[in-house]
Amino acid sequence: MMKRLILDAAFFLNTSKAYQANKRFVYNVLENDNYKYKKYFDMFMITLIMISVIVLIREVKFHVNDFFLYFNNYIISIIFLIEYLLRLWVSSSVSQIVIKHNEHDTMLGKEFNLFASLVDIGKIKLKYITSMRAIIDLLAIVPFFHQLRLLRIFILFRVFKLFRYARSFQTFTSVLATKKFEFLTLLMFSSIVIFVSSVLIYVMEANNPNSPIDTLYEAIYWSIVTISTVGYGDITPATDAGRLVAMFVIVAGVAVLAFTTSLVVSAFTEKLDEIKETKTVDDLKKLEKFYIICGYEKIAQEVAIQLSKNNNLIVLDENIDRIKKAQKDGFTALNYDPGSVDSYKKLNIDIDTQVKAILCLRENDVENVYTALTVRSFNKDIYILSLLMKEINRKKLSFTGINEILYSKELVGLIAKEFVGKPVAFEVIHALRSEYTSVDIQEIIVTQRMLTSFTLVEQLHNAQYRLILLGIYKQTHKRFFFNPIDSTVLEQGDYLVLIGNSVFIKEYEKYLHKKINR
Amino acid sequence: MKISALIFGYNDYAWHIAKNVMHKYKDISIFKLESDEPRAELDMFEIENFDLSDEWSVLKNNYDIENSIAFCILEDNAENIFLTLSLRAAFENLTIIALSKNKESANKLSMAGATKVIPLVQTTASIITDMLDKPIVTEVLHNILYEKSDLKVAQLEIKNHICFEGKYPSDIDWSRKYGIIVLSVMHEDGSSEFIFSSQAKHHVIQDGDIFVVVGYETDIKEFEKLIGGES
Repeated sequence: MMKRLILDAAFFLNTSKAYQANKRFVYNVLENDNYKYKKYFDMFMITLIMISVIVLIREVKFHVNDFFLYFNNYIISIIFLIEYLLRLWVSSSVSQIVIKHNEHDTMLGKEFNLFASLVDIGKIKLKYITSMRAIIDLLAIVPFFHQLRLLRIFILFRVFKLFRYARSFQTFTSVLATKKFEFLTLLMFSSIVIFVSSVLIYVMEANNPNSPIDTLYEAIYWSIVTISTVGYGDITPATDAGRLVAMFVIVAGVAVLAFTTSLVVSAFTEKLDEIKETKTVDDLKKLEKFYIICGYEKIAQEVAIQLSKNNNLIVLDENIDRIKKAQKDGFTALNYDPGSVDSYKKLNIDIDTQVKAILCLRENDVENVYTALTVRSFNKDIYILSLLMKEINRKKLSFTGINEILYSKELVGLIAKEFVGKPVAFEVIHALRSEYTSVDIQEIIVTQRMLTSFTLVEQLHNAQYRLILLGIYKQTHKRFFFNPIDSTVLEQGDYLVLIGNSVFIKEYEKYLHKKINR
Repeated sequence: MKISALIFGYNDYAWHIAKNVMHKYKDISIFKLESDEPRAELDMFEIENFDLSDEWSVLKNNYDIENSIAFCILEDNAENIFLTLSLRAAFENLTIIALSKNKESANKLSMAGATKVIPLVQTTASIITDMLDKPIVTEVLHNILYEKSDLKVAQLEIKNHICFEGKYPSDIDWSRKYGIIVLSVMHEDGSSEFIFSSQAKHHVIQDGDIFVVVGYETDIKEFEKLIGGES
């Protein structure tokens, strides 16, 4: 009966959308660094910790307002307790463990073993409880029992909680962790030096009435102060032998200090690129719409410069020199191989909503085919544009599902054709496309907001902005209508193609979006 | 004397250029350096050898240089610039189109006397950017250039200014009255002013003005009749 009830409850929780949504929300707020509201929660917790610490410091010499004491001892502790329990809750899924055990037992034709599931649940939760972070969290709640004065010191554990909320601390510890072996060696070395020198100085000085060193504790204290190169001078050796030990400790101290400094510096230097990369990837999540440029050779460099005027973009290239060049040119660039699925996973972005298009701009067909195939293997819809370097490879590129293929040699042929066949159109159109003239040709999409004020072509008044309306691309007809008549009806999704000064076009676009009462 | 498209360079570009200018130039000559390997696809064109020694007597004797067009598309930047310079020194009025693979050589080719320089990298990049940023505009312009629509860009000279009664270009509603769109007014020196620019706004229409217009062929013909002829 009990088993049945527990199983039913597990299945209910596992399938309940509301329960899962709530759990996911709590998880996101507490643990998911990529969740946009997590930082507000973190800031709130940091504020509580700071209040706690201020109260502790103030309390040492002054009377603190009873309200603050109450707030510190009860409210904050209760909030921390709730947080602790929530973290325990989201750390693993009890219902899933029960279901898994049930499925396992059913498969083997055995009766469901509730006890085994409970043991598993206990183990997994205990693993969380005994983790360093959970222990600190728990200790931070202890000041709730403020009657025990000694326990008040546990407020300091609240400071340790800061590690949870400030990412830079985590980065710092993770960087230092990479030099664990070196730090351990250093610790061993300094421990031995401290031990040997403490014993030596104790032996040399303890029986000398002029020496301030009387106990082994004082000897150890003197060794640590000296080896760290702090050297307070409150305890100094009085005998020659003692001074000899001091000289040895001082030399060892200099070595230890130099070694420590170089270790920290080298750890950071080695990890610097990784830290920067993590920051770049984090920032990508904030970008709304951007292009991914794969490769950073000549054409890609020029495309990046031109596209970056009106768009966001990122550059991916497996060649570190090219990435450095891209970074120097001011672009967000990552040393990821665009031909690896893993690279896109590491970017941690939503390709469908965040990426406008993927541009395969390596000047190498093999690389572009590989990149396009990689992208198509996990996304069928994203727009892919690719360069083609050799005509013979065109079919291969088409086969991979690239939406647009650009062959620069063919372009040269077409330009030659334009020039010899239509010199006037060629000059005019190239002047319109060129960035050096102030006259530009632009398209403006007709939005719902525009339609509240403008429904017909005659209402557009483009001439007031010194603009020429070359025509309208009607989305419903999938056709361009040159010089449309005044009674042409505007519809959402249509494009107005305008020619004029680029500044005026921008102004005009703003005007079209303003609500005008007719 | 042949009116010809003279293509200097024995490579993929030569093939694409030759294919695209065939409709305009019946005679196409491709000039190869001795070091170039033979290419089967170019055999359908007339192939001649040349070197960079400044000896152009073959060209002088066989081709109508003033009406011919030269394409300098050698793979090596330095050689291409040298060739352009050499051709310009020998033939003052030859139209030279030169291909440049980077910005630096584009400037040098202009200085060497190329009539038109095609900066390969910049052009490819601009086309990619336009395709992504302005797909509709790109399509419309593409259709005008490659005659996929009936739209045409033309250059018309005003010979009958009386019909405009001393008006300014921006005062006339060209699109409604004549069914065409006037983009710019060209001056004698070849520079042009956008129709809505301050200078064009204060310029009374007179004979000799050249208008750059966009419109359907029939409307342009009608307008041409009215103003007195195409330049």
